[in-house]
Amino acid sequence: MLSKRPVAVLLILAVLLAGLAPGVMAQEPIKLTVLTHWGEERLLVAQQAMIDEYVAAHPNVSIELQTVPFEELLTRIVTSRTAGTSPDIYHIYNLWLPEFTNGGLLAPMPEDLAAWVSENAAATSVVGVTYNDQLWGVPTEVNTYLLLYNKRLLAEAGYSEPPKTFEELVEIASAITKKDETGAVTQTGFAAITGWDSGVVHPFMALLYSNGGEYFNEDFTEVAFGNQAGLEVFQLYQDLLDSGGMDTSISGWDFPNGTVGMIIMANWWRATLRASENIDYETEVGVAPIPVGPSGTESSTLAYNWLWSVDANSPNQEAAWDFVEWMNTPRGEGEPSPMGNFLVNELGAIPSLLPDQAAFAEDLGDHFLAPFVASTAYARQEPVIGGSQEIKSLLQVEIESLFTGMTDPQSLIDYVVPEANAILEEFRAGAGG
Amino acid sequence: MRRRMIWGYVFIAIPILWLLVFSLGPILFSGWVSLHRWDMITPVAEMPYTGLENYDYIFTRDNVFPKALGNTFLFAIGGVTTNVVLGLAFALLLNTKIRGRTLWRVLYFLPVITAPLALGVIFAFMFNRNYGVINNLLVVLNLPRQGFLNDPNQAMFVLIAIAVYQYVGYYIVIYLAGLQDIPQDYYDAARVDGASYWQELWYITLPLLRPVMLFIIVTNTIGALQVFDLVFATTGGAPANSTMTVVLYMYNTAFKYSRMGRASAMAFVLFGIILLITIVQLRLFRDRTTA
Repeated sequence: MLSKRPVAVLLILAVLLAGLAPGVMAQEPIKLTVLTHWGEERLLVAQQAMIDEYVAAHPNVSIELQTVPFEELLTRIVTSRTAGTSPDIYHIYNLWLPEFTNGGLLAPMPEDLAAWVSENAAATSVVGVTYNDQLWGVPTEVNTYLLLYNKRLLAEAGYSEPPKTFEELVEIASAITKKDETGAVTQTGFAAITGWDSGVVHPFMALLYSNGGEYFNEDFTEVAFGNQAGLEVFQLYQDLLDSGGMDTSISGWDFPNGTVGMIIMANWWRATLRASENIDYETEVGVAPIPVGPSGTESSTLAYNWLWSVDANSPNQEAAWDFVEWMNTPRGEGEPSPMGNFLVNELGAIPSLLPDQAAFAEDLGDHFLAPFVASTAYARQEPVIGGSQEIKSLLQVEIESLFTGMTDPQSLIDYVVPEANAILEEFRAGAGG
Repeated sequence: MRRRMIWGYVFIAIPILWLLVFSLGPILFSGWVSLHRWDMITPVAEMPYTGLENYDYIFTRDNVFPKALGNTFLFAIGGVTTNVVLGLAFALLLNTKIRGRTLWRVLYFLPVITAPLALGVIFAFMFNRNYGVINNLLVVLNLPRQGFLNDPNQAMFVLIAIAVYQYVGYYIVIYLAGLQDIPQDYYDAARVDGASYWQELWYITLPLLRPVMLFIIVTNTIGALQVFDLVFATTGGAPANSTMTVVLYMYNTAFKYSRMGRASAMAFVLFGIILLITIVQLRLFRDRTTA
């Protein structure tokens, strides 16, 4: 016969365990995978530190960080979806939103988080992460394009101020270009980053907007650069080439080497420029608004965004959104979020969230970033519609054809506009391969 | 006996199953996808059927595909012809009692084991207009600098040169094996009859090397028509699509534009072209051998 005492102890234990059951359930191990394109060793360490901090506070969660280079990110996302090995959390480029959302790849955002983002992100970034009137993630870095110029090369050519108009851009660029006695171009006034769609098309869009032009019409049914404003931008390239102010044998990537006078580039290049041994970041790198074209009235530019999103097939969506929210929540009043800290201190990027911008007001106010931060107020978000990526590649190839003398501004427009419109039509009709 | 036969079938079944699952299966799936619209995100079961629309598009409305096809043919014809001729010339040289023969063979073979991506990057530097060693050499020879990879009219020929540099060593080794298989008696008898070196080459060496040449032409053609990594690393299809090849365009269409149906149609067209060319090559050589 059992004595009463052990039975009582057993009963108490049973009640305690039963009471703990929901807690135990909540502590079930959860594994999240996060995919980003920040694969440099330094960035890996910083991301892992952020993850470790979260995991320490959430012992039931383990997080695996996966990184691939930017040029492989889209392929990895798509193939992992096909293979059924999708990560739970993606860091994605907003131009991919149409394909991702139409295909059901992304999970809808929790309403309270979406409302918080709407209130706490820069207006341009809210637009950037919205598609079909719905927010699809938490915006991270916002990038805009401005004119970077080498102050030393401009001064050597006799100019103390960067160009403010297309005309001045051609004049200053041609004054900077130099060739040696063998015909080798030793420095070029203006350069583009060819072989990469954003490197070619984003500067074009910045110039187009600064010339009073539009990339798409209002209802996004047609491209809108086949007019005078678009023609003048293509003609600007032609004039730069004809005047010798632009020589495509020197790539825009050579700007940090001190052999390029001017380039239209995004703020994320800051870390590279700071690390360059051939151009002094503090004294030689200048940043100016995009020159205004003959049809334009004021300088404008292009912005694009990145965002954290969650996979629609993730079995741990709640936990995934919780991690995303944690990363982007300020640690306290006036303090940055872990992500804001990463973006500013590790990437040298501009955070989309206003509390992070406020917390890093001093860092973002340096001579390089300040004009970029200011430009987020007037920058135009890259249109996020189906077919954008394909049109971008089409336009890249044709602008490069212009650079290599295989086409002229009017022929370029005559070819690209109907092709681009056909792509838009296909996406609207849900047709094509 | 019957039991042994069953075991035989069991062992054969493994490679056949492997082939069905990992070769035939994807080919059939790709063919099926080519008749649909698919972005690789939508579940396979929900792909909309489009019939021959993708084929119709790439042949009648796609401006890049014909250009990519033309570039691919140019690459294949240029590369295969050069490899066949240059490979034979070097093999004949290395088949003589030249000094340091083994060293030469190793040197010619080294590029074969180098990653095409690495070669692409190195050659891009070498062919740079402003500081590339090739242009500096041209300047020394009082010749004008060339755009090479920046020039749409020259870029594809530079890629052919890089591909030949990489693979000619492999074909030299194949040729050498063929040359060493030719009995010395034939040459001895020809010399007794007073044959010159060129007559020996024309009447003995080349006819007996025909099977080797067939192998080289067929495998090189198949490889050249599928070229991807070298172009991807060196030019990415630029400038102005002048080096865009079918497989690179297929890759862009599938993974950049999320049009897997259209990319699959391209893959099937390329598959048909390669099959047709290979059959023609085999027939041509077989007829000549039996004639």
